[in-house]
Amino acid sequence: MASTTMPMEHAHSEEAHLREQHLMLDPRPRGEMNAMIMEAMHYTTWKFWVVAAILGAIVLVGLFGSWGYMIAEGLGVAGVNRPVFWGIFLVNTVFWIGISHAGTFISAILRVFKSEFRRPFTRAAELMTTFGLVQAGFSIFMHMGRVWLSYWLFPYPNQRQLWPNFHSPLSWDLLAITTYLLASTMYLFLPLIPDLAMARDRTAGGWRKNFYKVLALGFRGTEGEWTHLRNAMNIFAFAIIPVMFSVHTIVSWDFAVATRPGWNSTIFGPYFVIGALHSGMGAVIMVLAVVRATMKNMKYFIRPEHFDAIGKLMLIISMGWAYFFFNDYMVQWYGGDKWTEALLHWHEAGPMGWMWFLMLIVNVAIPWLVLWNKRWRSNPWIVFVVGLLINVGMYLERYIIIPISLTINRMPFTWRMYEPGIEIPLSIGTLAFFILLYMIASKLIPLVPVWEVQEGQMAHSMKKFGRETVVTVSELE
Amino acid sequence: MADTVSLLAVFPDLEPAADAIDKLRSLGLAHDQMNVISGIPVTEAMLGRPSQWTNVPRLALGGAIGGFLVGLFLVFTPLLYFVPVGGQPIIPGPPSVVLLFELTMLGLLISTFLGVFLDSTFPSYRPMQYVPEISDGKIAVFFNCPEDERERYTQAMTDSGAETVKEAEAQQL
Repeated sequence: MASTTMPMEHAHSEEAHLREQHLMLDPRPRGEMNAMIMEAMHYTTWKFWVVAAILGAIVLVGLFGSWGYMIAEGLGVAGVNRPVFWGIFLVNTVFWIGISHAGTFISAILRVFKSEFRRPFTRAAELMTTFGLVQAGFSIFMHMGRVWLSYWLFPYPNQRQLWPNFHSPLSWDLLAITTYLLASTMYLFLPLIPDLAMARDRTAGGWRKNFYKVLALGFRGTEGEWTHLRNAMNIFAFAIIPVMFSVHTIVSWDFAVATRPGWNSTIFGPYFVIGALHSGMGAVIMVLAVVRATMKNMKYFIRPEHFDAIGKLMLIISMGWAYFFFNDYMVQWYGGDKWTEALLHWHEAGPMGWMWFLMLIVNVAIPWLVLWNKRWRSNPWIVFVVGLLINVGMYLERYIIIPISLTINRMPFTWRMYEPGIEIPLSIGTLAFFILLYMIASKLIPLVPVWEVQEGQMAHSMKKFGRETVVTVSELE
Repeated sequence: MADTVSLLAVFPDLEPAADAIDKLRSLGLAHDQMNVISGIPVTEAMLGRPSQWTNVPRLALGGAIGGFLVGLFLVFTPLLYFVPVGGQPIIPGPPSVVLLFELTMLGLLISTFLGVFLDSTFPSYRPMQYVPEISDGKIAVFFNCPEDERERYTQAMTDSGAETVKEAEAQQL
């Protein structure tokens, strides 16, 4: 008797184990999943409001208050001065543009390659893109100083007879960042329409009903609507990838096209892109760990398998970053230029040399030591810490490239250390604003694309090969 | 010509909806006399329906061409305010490629986005035939049939597994 029932029991426990592991194999009725997402949006504890109030205060004082003060007093309250005219504002710009790369990477590249694990968290990553770019935009305007004269950038007939040169690297930046911000916002919105329609259908009345009704645009889910949406999402998925690469490449050219030691590098484009992905993926995993821990029902949608998959990507990206870093370092070191040698020595043995070593430890050593282990990289809090450290490391990398590298140049009599002033509250303000925007969005729009999850669950099934039960995926499109 | 009535049959799943479409076809309805409404994308092949026409790729191409032309205008703006600088070209090649690339992509993506709005006639806030259960996983088949054959069609839908078959009334979403 035992010999006939044991294999059956084994098969059942194996299937149950697979279901527990994989969201795609653990379907629930669509109505139940919708209810879970709506509950996650509506359920708010007092802790949420306390954190939101603190962040709001930081944004008011740190971001808008400090910015207002800087506008009133002038850029002199910031630490930028000869020879470091590019300070933390541009470090922040590069950092936030880097963060914004994760959304597109996850949503577009993984969609193109049909990586199924992406489904529950594409939107969480796309939101980071849009909100990260908002902070990058703020940082550029801060750097501008006399922000009320920003319209001087635009060409129109005027008495000054000054016409901007669209071939200048700063115009490339303006175009690339604007294109990426618009593209990523549209790419965030398109797959959101069916979920907004779902929220509209499940909301009885009040301002939320009107909010969803307006944003859902009258979507019903007819064959035509799905066809147009699917076509558009496919075009976006392919087209936004080169745009994503172009944005950070162009940001890198802001530095690389200058004939400065340390900056004039042909590999800066891909080095910046891989750095952006490194910090972006680190930020995604942090957001997912926090969303999973703090929002209701999210443990069903975001599982250890997702941390495991992103952890693997982080490990590969960390290796890629190390490769590009070493390539950039090696060529400059071998060149033997006197000023470049001085700069490399300054990076490693100058007063801020600790940043250089810490950058390598947290960007390379720690991810390599931790993420090779499946059990560790499946643990949300372990990967949260790794993601946080990577972001610290990537911030340091940009700090080393910009103000620390500008500290020394070919004119030693101008050498001077950069000491940030009002940049610090402004940086904290942008970080707080990013988190606050994210928190508000998490209460207004479904963070998980439910229809994409259900589409994926339809495509997945279990199949037996001999004694083993394995996961299979059908191509539905 | 006999009067027609619009009916909305709601199915719990894909299989009965596909069966119902076959039945509607055998009862003499053309494909353009019916529509399927679902909460997740169900491909035409799954339901045995003809491919849907979409203008989105063409609009995207048009937008890309438009963006490229705007890019060309910006590339050649230095000819409008000619400022010769020693050793520098008036219209440099590689930076022009950057401008053309960004504006072409911007045109392509904006027109793709607007293409969805145009093809789907979004936004549309007028009353429409719909049942909210669709976003909870139900599949609705919406069709027009002759008024005097209403019973026959309703029975065919019920036999296929429809949970409800009712006259499709336009309602405010």
